[in-house]
Amino acid sequence: MNITRRSFIKSLALNSAVVAAATVFPGISFGAWKETDILSGGIQWKKTPCRFCGTGCGLLVGISGDRAVAVKGDPNCTVNKGLCCVKGYHSVQILYGKDRIKKALVRKNDTLVEVPLKEALDLVAEKMKETIKSHGKDAVSIYGSGQWSIPDGYAASKLFKGCIGTNNVEANARLCMASAVTGCLTSFGLDEPMGCYEDIDNADVFVTWGNNMAEMHPVLFSRMLANRKSKTHVKIIDFATRTTRSSQAADKSILFKPQTDLAVANAICYEIIRNKWVNWSFVKKHVSFHKGKTNIGYGTQDHFKFKDKAETVDFKEYKEFLKDYTPEKVEKISGVSAKDIKYMASLYGDPGKKVTSFWTMGMNQHTRGTWINNLVYNIHLLTGKISTPGNSPFSLTGQPSACGTVREVGTLTHKLPHGVVMQEKARKLAAKIWQVPVENIDPKPTYHTVEMFRALDRGDIRFMWIQVTNPMVTMPNLRRYRDGAKKEGRFMVVSEIYPTPTSDVADVVLPSALWIEREGFFGNSERRTQHNEQIVPTPGDTMCNTWQLIEVARRLGFKKQFPWSRKTYIEDIWNEYIQFHDNPKHRMAPYKELKARSGIQWPFVNGMETKWRYNAKYDPACKQKDFHFYGKPDNRAWIWLRPYELPAESPDSEYPFWLNTGRVLEHWHTGSMTRRVPILHKAVPESYVEINSDDADRLGITNGSKVKISSRRGSIVMKASINGRGRPPRGMVFVPFFDESYLINEVTLDAFCPISKQPDYKKCAVKVERA
Amino acid sequence: MMEKPNHKEKQKVGRVFLVFAGICLLAIPFVVLSALNYEPKESKAALVETQSQDFDQNGKSIFENYDRISRDYLKGTSTERTLGEYYSRRQYVGSPPFIPHKVEEADEAQVECLACHARGGWTEELRRNTPLTPHPEQVACRQCHVRMTTDKLFVVNNWMSLPPPRLGRSDLPGAPPPIPHDLQMRGDCIACHVGPGAVTTIRVEHPSRGNCRQCHVPDSYAEPFQRKPNF
Amino acid sequence: MPVFSYLAYPVRGAKEELLNDVSALDHCEVMPAENEEVLILVTDTPDEEKEKALQKNLRKLKSLQSLGMTFGHTDE
Repeated sequence: MNITRRSFIKSLALNSAVVAAATVFPGISFGAWKETDILSGGIQWKKTPCRFCGTGCGLLVGISGDRAVAVKGDPNCTVNKGLCCVKGYHSVQILYGKDRIKKALVRKNDTLVEVPLKEALDLVAEKMKETIKSHGKDAVSIYGSGQWSIPDGYAASKLFKGCIGTNNVEANARLCMASAVTGCLTSFGLDEPMGCYEDIDNADVFVTWGNNMAEMHPVLFSRMLANRKSKTHVKIIDFATRTTRSSQAADKSILFKPQTDLAVANAICYEIIRNKWVNWSFVKKHVSFHKGKTNIGYGTQDHFKFKDKAETVDFKEYKEFLKDYTPEKVEKISGVSAKDIKYMASLYGDPGKKVTSFWTMGMNQHTRGTWINNLVYNIHLLTGKISTPGNSPFSLTGQPSACGTVREVGTLTHKLPHGVVMQEKARKLAAKIWQVPVENIDPKPTYHTVEMFRALDRGDIRFMWIQVTNPMVTMPNLRRYRDGAKKEGRFMVVSEIYPTPTSDVADVVLPSALWIEREGFFGNSERRTQHNEQIVPTPGDTMCNTWQLIEVARRLGFKKQFPWSRKTYIEDIWNEYIQFHDNPKHRMAPYKELKARSGIQWPFVNGMETKWRYNAKYDPACKQKDFHFYGKPDNRAWIWLRPYELPAESPDSEYPFWLNTGRVLEHWHTGSMTRRVPILHKAVPESYVEINSDDADRLGITNGSKVKISSRRGSIVMKASINGRGRPPRGMVFVPFFDESYLINEVTLDAFCPISKQPDYKKCAVKVERA
Repeated sequence: MMEKPNHKEKQKVGRVFLVFAGICLLAIPFVVLSALNYEPKESKAALVETQSQDFDQNGKSIFENYDRISRDYLKGTSTERTLGEYYSRRQYVGSPPFIPHKVEEADEAQVECLACHARGGWTEELRRNTPLTPHPEQVACRQCHVRMTTDKLFVVNNWMSLPPPRLGRSDLPGAPPPIPHDLQMRGDCIACHVGPGAVTTIRVEHPSRGNCRQCHVPDSYAEPFQRKPNF
Repeated sequence: MPVFSYLAYPVRGAKEELLNDVSALDHCEVMPAENEEVLILVTDTPDEEKEKALQKNLRKLKSLQSLGMTFGHTDE
């Protein structure tokens, strides 16, 4: 009897006995004795990063035979120290949904039929060749994901940018973290947070800026609660547009009107200056002041272009600029009392308090996302509360590898693994490592995500390969982009694991290996890369995304650039990739170390992780004493003068409500994985619209009754949720987007931050009526 | 002379009766039909309704309690409060337990209960650890919780209820079990699952974690996910 | 490989003793109930001979009052 069958039979034996016992003794319990103690002889535990959010918890997956049967938190992972959330604990169940795509599919006569995988790969390569021949290299594109494993993104970038020579490489992290990236680059010159999760254990004050951390980064939230419990003076302030579980846990919940976070952040700086809480020794040595353009638009038209222009100013001009942002003035537009603004400022300004600010989508999915990122950095720079344990403006990442893959490998139209396509030096480095002629790499970026789907609609792009993401649910103003993808002459290749609205529009569906079915790497919010080996076999014809790209690359004639063997290709790719980052500001850990340890932070210099960047005490890349913001040419961090500007579409008499969208704890993004996990589905089986109870009264809506939400772009009918886990204020409704039978993005607006090009999913105008 | 009115009366009564009987006769098929159509809800032990969103907004109490309660209390491990005893004080899962100890008849009975039951701790008088109430915001305690003043029944009752939810409902070995009970008035996990006053069998081994709902989610009857492509 | 499971009822008051006695036997895994006087026993022997020997050993235990079989599987 092999191990699997034996454990299965023993588990039958055990369960029969338990059932019999419960019949004879109702209410019997076996307390601390877990069934695994009997069966654990058959379970092996292997480490992996979690498949879900940007926290990047370390998991131990329990294997019996060739099946994943259990999950534990990895006690050796400093991120979560053995704790997970409900999604993490049930993550292995995502592998076993009944309708898993295990065979390649090709659309013939308007239906998808099964074909041998080789045939599908041949067809993909053929179509790419054909499209490039008839329409040019910029007619093909790839749209990837912050849930791409690092080698996936690397192979995609090398194939499209290095070999084919097009910059039509984008990823869904554009919709998730782009403003965080441009915020970092404009304020510091280098991407990603300068602190680490240890800040959570050290801070005295936490401020969450428009993110529902209790549901979205639950394990970090728990770590925050543990800190507060152990030290009675610790305060958590929830600064948000609606009341959530995070608000319930906070010491103070402060609600603000959408978009006015810009004004409040400036008002806090005004107060810090007025009360003389500025850390002058820090500011004089390490900060410079700049302003950019204003009235920068919203990007709702095709071909919208914007380029900012930085102008150096001084503290005097900054102080003058802030005169428009007194707490009394800001109270009028934001709904936040001057008293609360002053209170928040006092927490930031108190020299004895270490402050950590957290944010995710509230600040990033924002038509002035880059600006608001700058403004929160401004607060920390004025007070010098940065890059030391506990003092941390911390941009939390949404996806498990938006940092590791999209930002660090550079799978965006303008990026290369090191530097940008516009720099000759960066192109030369890429050409050298990739072994391609430097002329291949196009120095001109093409389209960001929204513009790429517009190009698909217009016909400037004819071929799109989509991997590990579901844009036919997540693109804002969805109808246009779905219709665009379905037009004649558009060839859509989708690498997927389950049937989704995106695979519904595909011409070819490639069956992908999922997570622990392939070796891979993820990089989380705190610059920690984590490795997993292949833990379970790939089912059916499924193939890892990286190898799919390699197979197609070889068919396109690029065997030289994609020479690796099936056995060692992931290791080989890692070794090639880290050459791009070989300097003390970004060095990555070697393969062997990553394989052995539960995650390693970069920069990894002389065998040590750099926990706090820009601080000479912890960062060997610093060439100054004290602090060194080496990302910028003037070796300083930049404070930006960014004003408050209105959102793209505000409520008016015809459409009087704000529409806000987001997630819930139990479901990941579009639900294609989590809805197939029984416990998660049963916890939240259907999407709904949160509506304020006073508004509901006025409109004659009761809990569970049908509501119609309409905007200038589309409408949808959903069930109402009143006084549930999230309570919007009057004049706002909130819809989670995990349920593909309620495509809320048909209602949202494709306006974006002109600097980051990230769309604003949190603000558009709708009307709400009883249906 | 008196006959006539009586006769008329009787006729009137008779007519009323006939009308009433007619209505009853007409109604009987409806009653019978609806009785035939009545399908009793799936009898499973105390699972919450699909998507019970109610009372989720009261989660604040968990966080407040978590902060307030001492580490020592969280670690308490006394074993006197068993699941059997817990259910024996209730008529059905979720009903208010009776008061098992002597109570003074006081003017302001509600306040005195909370003196022990909102704080917990060892009581020398009863030589027990005090169970915490999950709903200290309700202060009219004696409106629901009453004393058993006698053992004798007036008339025997054929009351039966559903069995309590079985333990060990994790989907995977070692995974966090879902919440098998309604959150109404039982949203404060600490009261029953943590500390010396907790029910031994359901006491958690990880009391120092404060964000229970990040791992434990409500169970429900929902049908498994079925895809309906709307292409 | 014979796999069996049982409800094992201890002699009155001897639950701890039974738990120790059975845990000491080869091929036996025990899970005691917290709130009742019963244990669950799962046995997994490599062949018929060892199974017979195990049965003999179980019968010898003084702390064991009775065994109720709840599952049986033999590879024939």
